[in-house]
Order: sequence, then C-alpha cells, then structure tokens
Amino acid sequence: MKILIADDSRVMRQIVTRTLRQAGFDGHDLVEAADGQEAHDKAQAEKPDLVISDWNMPEMTGIEVLRKLRAAGNDVKFGFVTSECTEEMKSAAESAGSAFFIVKPFTAEQFDEVFSPILG
Amino acid sequence: MSVETVVTQDDLAEMVEQVWASYLDPEGVSPLLPTGDDKQPTEVHSTVSITGTWHGHLVYASSMLAARRAAAAFLAMDADEVGAEDISDVLGELANIVGGNVKAMLPAGCFLSLPTVVLAPETASYYPAAERISGLWGQWEGESISISMWQSVKQGEAA
Repeated sequence: MKILIADDSRVMRQIVTRTLRQAGFDGHDLVEAADGQEAHDKAQAEKPDLVISDWNMPEMTGIEVLRKLRAAGNDVKFGFVTSECTEEMKSAAESAGSAFFIVKPFTAEQFDEVFSPILG
Repeated sequence: MSVETVVTQDDLAEMVEQVWASYLDPEGVSPLLPTGDDKQPTEVHSTVSITGTWHGHLVYASSMLAARRAAAAFLAMDADEVGAEDISDVLGELANIVGGNVKAMLPAGCFLSLPTVVLAPETASYYPAAERISGLWGQWEGESISISMWQSVKQGEAA
C-alpha cells in the first residue's frame, strides 16, 4: 500500500515511520508531506491508499486538507495523528470522514490496534 | 479563571511521563526527576500559545545537552550526530505534544499555535502580558528540563 505521512515536523514524520515499522507494518510505499498544502497536493497526485496526517500544520490544517479532498470527491482513507485531542476536534474529524484519531505521544501498540484492520 | 485548577503540576507530570515512556525513555531507566527548582538555568526553549477560552503559553525549556539527547532519542541517532535543525524540530514537537495535551484539559474552544523555538535561555523570551502559574522543574540524566504554563493577564490587571 502507499501511505502518505503529513506532518510539519520532520522528526515526527520519522517517528511515525519508525512506529509503523515497530508495529509490524513493513514494506509499504511511504510518501511524506511537510505542510497541509503539500499533503493535499500529494493526496491528489500520488493517490495513496492511506493518509496519516497531523492536525496543526502551516498552509492548511489537517482537517482542511481532509474536507478539501472530500469536496473534490477523493475518498482516500484518512486519519489524524495529533497532540491535540478534544471532543470538538474528534467530532469534526468524524464528520469530515476521518477513519481514526491517534493522540501523541503514541505507542507501537496503539498503531497496531488502529492500523491492523487497515493495513492487514 | 485560573487554569491551575484545571491543569495541575501533577497533570503536567503525567503528560511528561507519557512523553518519556513513548519517546525519551521507552525502557523506563532514565525518567525526568522532579527537583522543584524553578531557578535552574536553561539554554534552549520552545513555546506554544493557546488562545480561545483560555489565553496563555506553554514553555518547554532545557539545557542544550538535554535537547541534543532528546533529539537523539526521537531520531534513534547518537547525540553527536544530531544537528541544530533536529534539535529545533524536537524542541518544537515537545512543546506541541505537551501543549496539545494541556489544551485537551482546558474548556472547549481553545486553539493551539504552531511552536516557536529559540536556541537561547528561557530568560531570553518575555511574556509581558502573562504570569507563570504552574510548572514542572526537573533533571534528566543530570540535565535541566522544565515545562511551565503562563496565563495571560487581563489588560489593567498586569500592573
């Protein structure tokens, strides 16, 4: 599968990548985006099977990316890995069509639980 | 409204424990040891601001060596391989993670800013319309680390 990892922190993109590996999800084609606009553009151009996105990013927030993709008819599986977790955010994410919501700091066990049904 | 009743020093300690368990000390051998020394010197810091139903800042500060070790732990590298860009990125992410968790404990309707990182002591930054309301001060592998919360003061009450 092709996975797009969107986070303005390069370190956090590396940690997401490493945690995916630690959770046993090796061998996937990984693409990265460093801000919301790039995430949106790569989600359209690269046609990933899964988008793992930060919420708070420059240019466009993660929720704006998701809404824009859905408005354009893109139904890629999309979810959030973010330090922010409020009921209003979770509710906004679900309403916009988010498949999961992982809060930082996260563990490989949490990744396994969330991504096993998606990545197999 | 004082945030102290919403986010206590114990809450900050719990958040820090989670960060340490996930990224900085997954084997549980080198925790952040609280000292309570709010005068301990720092060399670098990062800040996220919170606005909305609560206004203020969360500041993560540490010695340069602690920041370098944190970056090395985040990146699974040796400390001497870590560059300034890595250190800035990790400092920003540390403030972002704790700030995000703090925000989740505040009344609904708050917004978190992107982090600002300054590779200079905490005292190099001023928060003229805010006062420190709580914090956690400690040592990690003998190096200073602190997380403090600053609440904005209403105009006219700052004097």
